[in-house]
Amino acid sequence: MSNYLDLSIKEINNLLKSKKIKPIDLVEEAFDRIEKSSSLNCFITLNKEAALKQAKELEDKEVDNLFFGIPIAIKDNICTKGLRTTCASKMLENFEPIYDATVIEKINEKHMIIIGKTNMDEFAMGSCSKTSYFGAPRNPWNESKITGGSSGGSAACVSGRLTPIALGSDTGGSIRQPSSFCGVVGLKPTYGRVSRFGLIAYGSSLDQIGPITRNVEENAELLNIICGKDEKDLTSAKRDSEDFTRLIGKDIKGMKIAVPNYFVSDIVSKEVLDVFNKTVETLRNLGCTVDYIDMKYLENVVTIYQIITMAEASGNLARFDGVKYGYSYPNPKDLEELYTKTRQLGFGDTVKKRIMVGSFILSGENAKIYYDKALSIRDDIKKSFDMAFEKYDFVIGPVVTSEAYDLDEEFPDPSKSFMDDVLVMPVNMAGLPGLSLPVGFSPNHLPIGLHVMAPRFEEAKLYQFGAFLEKELNLNLDPRGDKNE
Amino acid sequence: MKKLSKEEVLHVAHLARINLEDEEIERYANDLGKLLEDIDKIKDIKGYDDEMMISPVEYNSDLRPDVEGKMLDYKTAMKNVPHSTGNFVEVPVMLNE
Repeated sequence: MSNYLDLSIKEINNLLKSKKIKPIDLVEEAFDRIEKSSSLNCFITLNKEAALKQAKELEDKEVDNLFFGIPIAIKDNICTKGLRTTCASKMLENFEPIYDATVIEKINEKHMIIIGKTNMDEFAMGSCSKTSYFGAPRNPWNESKITGGSSGGSAACVSGRLTPIALGSDTGGSIRQPSSFCGVVGLKPTYGRVSRFGLIAYGSSLDQIGPITRNVEENAELLNIICGKDEKDLTSAKRDSEDFTRLIGKDIKGMKIAVPNYFVSDIVSKEVLDVFNKTVETLRNLGCTVDYIDMKYLENVVTIYQIITMAEASGNLARFDGVKYGYSYPNPKDLEELYTKTRQLGFGDTVKKRIMVGSFILSGENAKIYYDKALSIRDDIKKSFDMAFEKYDFVIGPVVTSEAYDLDEEFPDPSKSFMDDVLVMPVNMAGLPGLSLPVGFSPNHLPIGLHVMAPRFEEAKLYQFGAFLEKELNLNLDPRGDKNE
Repeated sequence: MKKLSKEEVLHVAHLARINLEDEEIERYANDLGKLLEDIDKIKDIKGYDDEMMISPVEYNSDLRPDVEGKMLDYKTAMKNVPHSTGNFVEVPVMLNE
């Protein structure tokens, strides 16, 4: 079998244009790799028959864009017409959407080939993809380790070189955190940059779809395709069209960077801090200034995030009632039993716990005590970032507090999965873009990422910064070992 | 860590319309107690201003034009409905004669 999928997208594109290869070569290679790496459990559903058919049909078409014929993996909470979309839940085990999400329409317009739907935490609730009804995916760097989550399947798929690109979604770190654990590049775009139409909602005021790729430039190229105002999503932003790659290659000398002290406090492990401190040194050597600053409310972010997401989730998941679609409890004695037993048997433990607490938060006076107050502090978190960005180009920190931990490790504390995302949640609170970029390895040779945060709609600058640092570090991010060295 | 009583677990389960067996009530009592304890920490946060951020979007009065669009056909719309009779979605009887 060939190794075309190890090439850059640009190189693959040139081969397709010069007719040296056909899309079917790429698709067959992707499925061959998936089969050989089945232990990674990256996919819930494969789209093999349709993908092969599409690849054959593309042979008669002109290669009209960079992503033509490129295999892509899609997180399983993004609706794909006629292709099973489960949210990694028993509730949607047999659900076939009747429409495409807007991002899927955009991907189809560019003739990318959807290879399958990737594994994730159930309804995106979790931090290691272990809440999946279909079993957890495994980290390509070490299969006994977690991939992170909730977009664990997408991150592991790109990391394991099964497909060169994937889409994930990020409510409180779900693109950036698994990208860090798996050594790939993940972006949570500015809230509103990408349409959420067709993304099965978790926390509507936080959710964003974003690209997961092997490098920064391909990430920017993919964002070019999926972004844009969508009349089907009132929260999508009307912006002038721009090329997110336009600043890539420009020097970052003179850029001002802030590190919140909380992001390097004792909540972060030594192996992560060591890599982070080395990165700060590199940035200073590249001519950036790096200051350590205090930012308000960062230490409260988990509490605020828990309140907002669980409340929003309880409303969003109220639609799963056994009536309109999804799992339905058979032969209920009345409507109440249909609702309550459908939800008892259709949802997993984590989802049930979170929507129970969410319903409590929104009931009666509690809405004022918890939810309204959380929204007030959320506003203060946003203002705190606004203040930092008056003086600095970027705020940076580690992505995760530790390296990827053992898949078998059990944590009795239900808040552990929230704490895993403590460093990346603030970005969702403030609606900012955040880039997760691999910057080194732990002594166990597990990838460690850098989290770079920018003002709203400054993705192009994030990519400039990320690409420059990526080139300087020149890491081998292929988990298949020395193969490429 | 506060463990919820059986009645408290059943109360939040009822709010979320989730049936629970005795074994589940026991299993969730600790975790729910911990999560409720976590969110209670918000009561200690001071010094914030009252302005609320409901959504990061500040420009959402941009409605689409009021024009006739394409509708789903009946067969497509009903594709994922678990129980149907003729053109109707079927649910258990709500009122007894």
